[in-house]
Amino acid sequence: MTKILTVHFDDPKLHELETYRRLGGYEALKKALGMERKALQEEVVKSNLRGLGGAGFPVGFKWSTVPPEDKVPGPRYVVVNCDESEPGCYKDRVLVTRAPHQLLEGLLIASYVIGAKDSFIFIRGEYQNQYDILEKAVAEAEKAGLLGDVRIHLMRGAGAYISGLDTALLETMEGKKAWPRQPPPFPTVAGLMGKPTVVNNVETLSMLPFIVREGGEAFAKIGCAKNGGTVLFSVSGHVEKEGVYEVPMGTKLRDVLALAGGVKGGKKLKCVIPGGTSMPPLLEKDLDICLDFDAIRAAGTFLGAGGMIVLDETVDAVEVAHNIERFLAHESCGQCTPCREGSNWSERILERILEGKGQAGDTENLARVGENITGKVICALGDTVGMVTRAYITKFPDDFKKRVPNHG
Amino acid sequence: MKPFTDEQEKSLVAWTKKYPYTNLGLIEALRSVQGWHRMITPEAASAVADIFKLPFNHVWGVATFFPTFTRWKTGEKRVGVCHGLSCFLKGSNKAEWCLEKTLGVPKKQATPDGKLSWETMECLGACEQAPALQVNDRLVGPATDEAIAKLKDMK
Amino acid sequence: MGKTVKYKLNGIEREAEEGRLVIEAAKDAGIEIPHYCYHKALGNPGNCRMCIVEVAGAPKPQVSCRTSVREGLDVKTDSDLVKRAQASALELHLVNHPLDCPVCDQSGECGLQDYYMKIGQYQSAVREDKEHKGKRIVAGPHVMLDQERCVLCTRCTRFVDNVTKTHELGIFGMGHSEKIEVTPGMTLDNAYSGNVVDICPVGALTDRDFRYKVRVWYLDKTDSVCPGCARGCSISVHTNTARPWHNDGKRVARLKPRYNPDVNGHWICDDGRYGFGNLDTDRLGKVLRLKPQKAEMTWFDMSKDISAMLTESSGAISVVASGMLSNEDWAAYKALFVDTLKVSGHYFSAEPDQLGEEDALLRRKEKVPNLKGAEALGLKSGSFDDLAADLEAGKIKTLFVIERDLSEVWGDRAASLLAKARTTILQGPNKYSLGDDFTYRLPATAYVEEDGHFTNFEGKLGAYKKALAPIGDARPDWAIFALLQKALAAKAVAA
Repeated sequence: MTKILTVHFDDPKLHELETYRRLGGYEALKKALGMERKALQEEVVKSNLRGLGGAGFPVGFKWSTVPPEDKVPGPRYVVVNCDESEPGCYKDRVLVTRAPHQLLEGLLIASYVIGAKDSFIFIRGEYQNQYDILEKAVAEAEKAGLLGDVRIHLMRGAGAYISGLDTALLETMEGKKAWPRQPPPFPTVAGLMGKPTVVNNVETLSMLPFIVREGGEAFAKIGCAKNGGTVLFSVSGHVEKEGVYEVPMGTKLRDVLALAGGVKGGKKLKCVIPGGTSMPPLLEKDLDICLDFDAIRAAGTFLGAGGMIVLDETVDAVEVAHNIERFLAHESCGQCTPCREGSNWSERILERILEGKGQAGDTENLARVGENITGKVICALGDTVGMVTRAYITKFPDDFKKRVPNHG
Repeated sequence: MKPFTDEQEKSLVAWTKKYPYTNLGLIEALRSVQGWHRMITPEAASAVADIFKLPFNHVWGVATFFPTFTRWKTGEKRVGVCHGLSCFLKGSNKAEWCLEKTLGVPKKQATPDGKLSWETMECLGACEQAPALQVNDRLVGPATDEAIAKLKDMK
Repeated sequence: MGKTVKYKLNGIEREAEEGRLVIEAAKDAGIEIPHYCYHKALGNPGNCRMCIVEVAGAPKPQVSCRTSVREGLDVKTDSDLVKRAQASALELHLVNHPLDCPVCDQSGECGLQDYYMKIGQYQSAVREDKEHKGKRIVAGPHVMLDQERCVLCTRCTRFVDNVTKTHELGIFGMGHSEKIEVTPGMTLDNAYSGNVVDICPVGALTDRDFRYKVRVWYLDKTDSVCPGCARGCSISVHTNTARPWHNDGKRVARLKPRYNPDVNGHWICDDGRYGFGNLDTDRLGKVLRLKPQKAEMTWFDMSKDISAMLTESSGAISVVASGMLSNEDWAAYKALFVDTLKVSGHYFSAEPDQLGEEDALLRRKEKVPNLKGAEALGLKSGSFDDLAADLEAGKIKTLFVIERDLSEVWGDRAASLLAKARTTILQGPNKYSLGDDFTYRLPATAYVEEDGHFTNFEGKLGAYKKALAPIGDARPDWAIFALLQKALAAKAVAA
């Protein structure tokens, strides 16, 4: 299968500048710097590269919403979102650990296109090892004169999942609570300190060297309609071989599962969470759906950040739902009421059910509360609070039936 | 009494200058304070507010918001075990129990000698090494009984 | 003014200024959209999610505090979807609310109660225990904090951050554990702290002064003007006459700011808000002659006595007044003392007794409301030092003192200076410290017991209305002046 990001992952020294360059690294940057910025942006548009941090927003289009310098003069910024923190997701950690220069090259290309002189890598504080790797890589690149007139700043987070949401990330960077903003204006118009800012995920930016080298069309061709290139899945849970797998966009769920060696111990599959725990799970019958942003959406869930968790038949869906709601309630930033109160309430109802104190009407109430949150809150975290409970209640009625009297 | 040594104060001031805007250094500065004091007290946050020329209620709001910052004193080694879904599936409950038994203290409380404390943490981004264990923001691998037993001797 | 555009509100085509927030445009059209966090003067964080509306073409409901009117906008505030969304937002606000309305001072003017009656009325589905937070926290000299009742709308923190810039409150903690707290090491003691009580949509921040005094539904509200300084803030006087045994037997229960974009916006200062104690204590209600021996008089007898005495001491009369007088009072004052009696000694300037702190927000250093009214009539104040010298020199036979405590002007010297005049008259609502030292004592109404106008330091006119019946025989200052004027005229005719 075609690989883009992990092609050289068998080289143990890929993280070193020398190795990365020997394998053709930073050639794309050189090529990019010789191109018109407009033409580069066009290539990205053509590539059908989507935001791989979870939103799946077309990257070329996002960039095109940055106002031109003659209209809005002054600084503009590129921010790398390396605040991966959703259960199931660890591909950015692997990408930074193994190929930090690939990210830096991508970041430098993006900075050139956007016109950013100060670029930032916001990395979660718990990735101290990766922070060290990046610090070293930036120093290497700087010493080799690869940064040109761009300054790359590293910045660590402080343990809040919500900081991974672009506008909350900008708030965190500005030294505030990670309370998401409510666009408009979008960050590309008014982002960091009110300046035009492009926030892209590690994986997204790491794709850029390939796009510049091979062209947008070549990238697009690897994927499927409107979803260019490849995508990384970090697989965990009940599989034989946990790890990060790179597959072309649109690969069937069944095939990714096979890459990971299938369900561990030959057990039967209960469900697969495709993109991180906030995403509704898929069942055995869904194994033939194609993993791209649009096809998976049609199946009622999301690609997310490729954090795939496989659950075998022994798992109790109520426990899973409770675990996820506990996470969301813990990570709710508290800014808007429905999420702050609703996530905690949902968690407590599930906790009571788990304690064997389920009451008739509990599941209906959970589903109703969920419905009252989704779509009525400030950010996507709140949306998922309701989505998760409803998904597990609908998809695993038997598990709820065991614990809740009169559960329909 | 001043909450910081001259050296520490200098490094906090350095954070105000590291980035294109002063405030961009605030989270990093508070991370330093957490590292030195193993907690953040109102007095320390107030001193940071002065250094950054920010209102104290703003800095205290930030200091009480982010999970990295604590109002209880962590051990010199702050141990975290992940209880996200993948880690839960692989026995994070058992790891919690083992941590409590091995370190002899409940979560969010440092050992009497101040060397260690442990707590559950939300997803540490190491789902393939479930249940993930970290010490002072560095991943150390799965929280097996052996790994937990070794924490006490860890340098 | 921006351009006027056409938009649809609940299916009816309307016009509004382009860019006006839907929540405001709807209010203009008579439709009140429920909200907690939005406040005209404090911004629109959009965190309470109560003001949700349906916008045609939008993928999901929108908050009307962050949606602007534009040409062709089609917005619904009354659809089933909106009603459901608002009811569910309310339900989530109430999940952990203690529902302690019976002992909550906010009862009767609480956003949670009001919206429950309007859009809620559901059966509670909460089977979990309520979460407990701090109660009865003394936030400052005037304000009590109850964290359990708080809906975290952030209005109060925005007030102390953006209006007073004093930062005594904050939301501390994260997510479900966050709560409003007094910033460690601080107290909520800025000069405007009482405003947080007004902007708090629920019972989280309440007035210590008003605590457990009287139920708000027994209160009558009257438009008024604060007499506390030259700003003349628009206020509402809340009086309790329905249950005279409540509120410790006092008639005035509290003062609240009344929105006036030209003068005070939404706010008033604490000095004004809590400085109404003298409306129900230390009041004068009888017309008295105190010397040589104490005797009650009728207004008619008094007017005969005093007018005779004024005629007799013509040329040796001085009048002490203050900026507490209304425009109506000043007009009658001028007719009596200037036009009829030709008095030249007028003393009403703000001295240290009526001077205090001022700031950039509202407070003015002259702590009386209407010096401008005297100025407008061409009245000029002499110097109190000169008056003291004249009294010392025995030049003044009659000293008329209106709404002023001379002991606060002259300190310990006041009593002996007063004794130098042959006849002294105190007119006013309160007795003050020297009230027993005068020859005559005439009870005047307080501003809450009369209609009138003050002209503030910028020349802006403020009208106040009668909220209460006068105490005893008290009459407005202008009526007393008119009575004396009439007595003088009768005397002249008789002569």
